[in-house]
Amino acid sequence: MPEVDVFSALANPVRRSILMQLRKGPRAVNDLARRFDVGRPAVSEHLQVLRKARLVREEPRGRERYYHLNPRPLSEVEAWLGAFTQYWKQRLVALEDVLEKEKERSK
Amino acid sequence: MTDRPMIRLEHFYPCAPSAVWRALTDPELHARWWAAGDVKAVVGHRFHLDMGPWGKQPCEVVAVEHERLLKYRFATTSLDTIITWQLAREGSGTRLTLTHEGFDVDSPMGRQALEGMGRGWPGILVKLGTVLGEPPRSDAPAP
Repeated sequence: MPEVDVFSALANPVRRSILMQLRKGPRAVNDLARRFDVGRPAVSEHLQVLRKARLVREEPRGRERYYHLNPRPLSEVEAWLGAFTQYWKQRLVALEDVLEKEKERSK
Repeated sequence: MTDRPMIRLEHFYPCAPSAVWRALTDPELHARWWAAGDVKAVVGHRFHLDMGPWGKQPCEVVAVEHERLLKYRFATTSLDTIITWQLAREGSGTRLTLTHEGFDVDSPMGRQALEGMGRGWPGILVKLGTVLGEPPRSDAPAP
């Protein structure tokens, strides 16, 4: 099991934004830090949380450390959303029944 | 991955937009397919939807286009998401599009799901099923 669950990792807007950046390809910490106002130490800390949630992996390249996106744990979020989707599908079918009964009644 | 997850579903109904609109905006009909509550197609109208075990959820209408669009904030004090119903005439029927967006895993509801994580996934999904309320029976009495 990851040390940090995917929901707490995604709960922070900076971390969500880091993941969006990493969709375009691996990035070095300094490169990422330039895109945020929070400062490099904070960005490093966020990256550690993402790493513990297995949403990113590190790759040392010379003196730099690059971060890659690992989207697999996101399937947990999809499952969470899937419960809502399933719920709505049932409601939309229930609506169909009601509309049908109303149609019969007005005939 | 999207920055903020959203749900979008479409469903075709073989009746006029006016009938679908009535089912979305008339409390008596609304209670029969989803939840009891004093829904009204008026911008700024605040109402509650009775989500069973999850309690009465405060909502607020944010946009109305008669028989075309109804948009409201849902569960403003917890899940705080936006639900949009869009109606489009299609032949003699209506295509209804539901958008449920603004899910924030940092909201109380998100945190609730997060607590459930400790007990594993099946637990969460069951819990979600119950917090969202059991499907109302089609013969449920009007509020």
